[in-house]
Amino acid sequence: MRFLALLRKELRESLPWLLLAGLLLLGVGLLRLGPLNRFSTVEYWQYTNGLTPGETVDPHRLLRPGLLRWPGLWLAWMAPALGLILGVRHFWMPLFTRTWSFLLHRSAARPTILWAKLTAATAGLVLSLGASWTFLYWYARRPEVFPIPESAKALASGWIYIALGLVIYLGTAVSALSTARWYTTRIFGLAFAAVATLFILSLWNLTWIITLTILTLAILLSQTIAAFLDREF
Amino acid sequence: MALWIQISSGSDKPIYLQVVEQIGAVIARGELRTGDKLPAVRTLAAELVINPNTVARAYTQLEQSGLVTTKTGSGTYVSDPKLRRGDAADINILTERMDTLITRGLNLGLGRDELTGLFEDRLEKFTGKTDSDTTNHE
Amino acid sequence: MSEIVLETKDLTKYYGATPALDHLDLQIPRGSICGFLGRNGAGKTTAIKMMLGLLHPTAGSAALLGCDSAALTPAVRQRIGYVTEGHRLFRWMSIAKLERFQRAFFPEQWDDRFFGDMIEYFELSKKQKIKHLSNGQRAQVSLALALAPNPELLIMDDPTLGLDAAIRRQFLEGMIELITRQGRTVLFSSHILADVERVADRVVVVDRGRLRADCSLETFRASVRKVIAKFPNTAPSEAQIEGLLHCRHSERQLEMTLVDVGDAEVADWARQAGAEGYEFIEMNLEDQFIEFTAPPNHRRLFQWEEVE
Repeated sequence: MRFLALLRKELRESLPWLLLAGLLLLGVGLLRLGPLNRFSTVEYWQYTNGLTPGETVDPHRLLRPGLLRWPGLWLAWMAPALGLILGVRHFWMPLFTRTWSFLLHRSAARPTILWAKLTAATAGLVLSLGASWTFLYWYARRPEVFPIPESAKALASGWIYIALGLVIYLGTAVSALSTARWYTTRIFGLAFAAVATLFILSLWNLTWIITLTILTLAILLSQTIAAFLDREF
Repeated sequence: MALWIQISSGSDKPIYLQVVEQIGAVIARGELRTGDKLPAVRTLAAELVINPNTVARAYTQLEQSGLVTTKTGSGTYVSDPKLRRGDAADINILTERMDTLITRGLNLGLGRDELTGLFEDRLEKFTGKTDSDTTNHE
Repeated sequence: MSEIVLETKDLTKYYGATPALDHLDLQIPRGSICGFLGRNGAGKTTAIKMMLGLLHPTAGSAALLGCDSAALTPAVRQRIGYVTEGHRLFRWMSIAKLERFQRAFFPEQWDDRFFGDMIEYFELSKKQKIKHLSNGQRAQVSLALALAPNPELLIMDDPTLGLDAAIRRQFLEGMIELITRQGRTVLFSSHILADVERVADRVVVVDRGRLRADCSLETFRASVRKVIAKFPNTAPSEAQIEGLLHCRHSERQLEMTLVDVGDAEVADWARQAGAEGYEFIEMNLEDQFIEFTAPPNHRRLFQWEEVE
């Protein structure tokens, strides 16, 4: 009951950004995929990928050529951006508006208050960007479209970007909750998240990508929990 | 019954004392008569926006000086003037205050007759109203 | 009969090497309205935040309703109302949404009608968003949100700062309304001493992090007194009397502020010092507070010279 009230509040607070992100991605994707029916698929393939016919493509690259490449590129930066915005909204803004005292005195355990924020961020990323991405994937795979490289890997790549968005979110949270000055250790949380994200994006091996993402999430999650439970407001 | 008295905060005089004096004045003027019930402590506290304990203290002091009596479970009532008896200390305070008044008056240049006339004028304002009410102020 | 609803033991908070609060020992009984007094920066907000578990004490402990402040359970928090400094609420929410949010945390105790009545009385609409409200209106909403759950203990941190007289009065009315219900207690910090005198029956005075007084308002009012003693010749520049806070002297007069000094002791001193007479000067609570918290040997900021 209390958790739901907290969750509802966090979601509603972030709603404009979630809608903006989801719709923006959807728009970009449909803009690219829309004209599909007018071109022949091969022409469109060339058009969207800047490739000459016959040129091969490394199937292991994360950001693989394909119909979803362009929306994929957008998602690759939008997810971390949304993660950053949500992190700021959930953890920095209350410092400026001085609403932490009010929130923390609600009759809910401190962990509950944190879980509500984390759940809201995760659900937000999943429901806005994740839903749009999955829709675009389905849209690109329709039978009337030539079913080129779209595969589970393409779908997975989008979801990995979303997971990296969550990494940035947690990094922002850790930085916000730190009580040090910005030019000393305070920047570590976000810096660590940013470095990890860029590193993971440069990799090719899907197994490594997934493992490192999960590891980074685990580290930042434990840091966030520790910082929040201990902090003075 | 509504008791219209005014409390001034930030004054030198403690609030409970203001309540005591003003209720005393109300009783003296006959606006509250013998047997009339004073408002409940909580009611007066809410009305004046002061702490109920302050009202309680004022009521206790009024009871000690015999102006009111409290019947447990029932409330506080204005007591019969015949039962009121000022003790020596009360009379002393009264005398002191009279001295202050007389000093002021004389310093202002008022003569004995003027002072007496002024005093009777004011007394009229209190007792004059209830001339017909024989239970008050004998 | 008096159960202690708020208690601190040796509550201390250091920021670096400076003590913001130094060994605070408080006990507030149930049913009282306690005015928490102190100059700006005396440590009142720090104390309140520690009591609510928002700050960690450097040393000592605090307990609310019998529960340690460092480990307040949701069940106990439910019985405590808290009005934060500045009445900071979620700006994007409407009053109705805020009501819904708040209500979720007080399932059995929320008084719908009371909240609605208060909002109506303040001439606000539930559709209004917090960001469109003035400071005063936001304070009113804050008050309604704190009173509607009928809290056993209400803690308010400088609730009337910067508010107009009418709204200040509404806060006082709210406090009296709460206190007339069984077993409620209020702790509020304030700089408006006239307000404190109206509604408080206990005062706690904190000065530069230290506790200076924790007593009934009556006791405080009776303890801090001003005496002016007249001398036939030149008045002494000092006075040897215990309980002396300050003294000032002019030609033939000595003005002293005393704490906890009985009539007999004053009479004794006057006799010994050779005063030809003395009188007690009535002070209001504000004057008493200023004298009480002024540093020793303080003098007026502006000195007026007598023109012959």
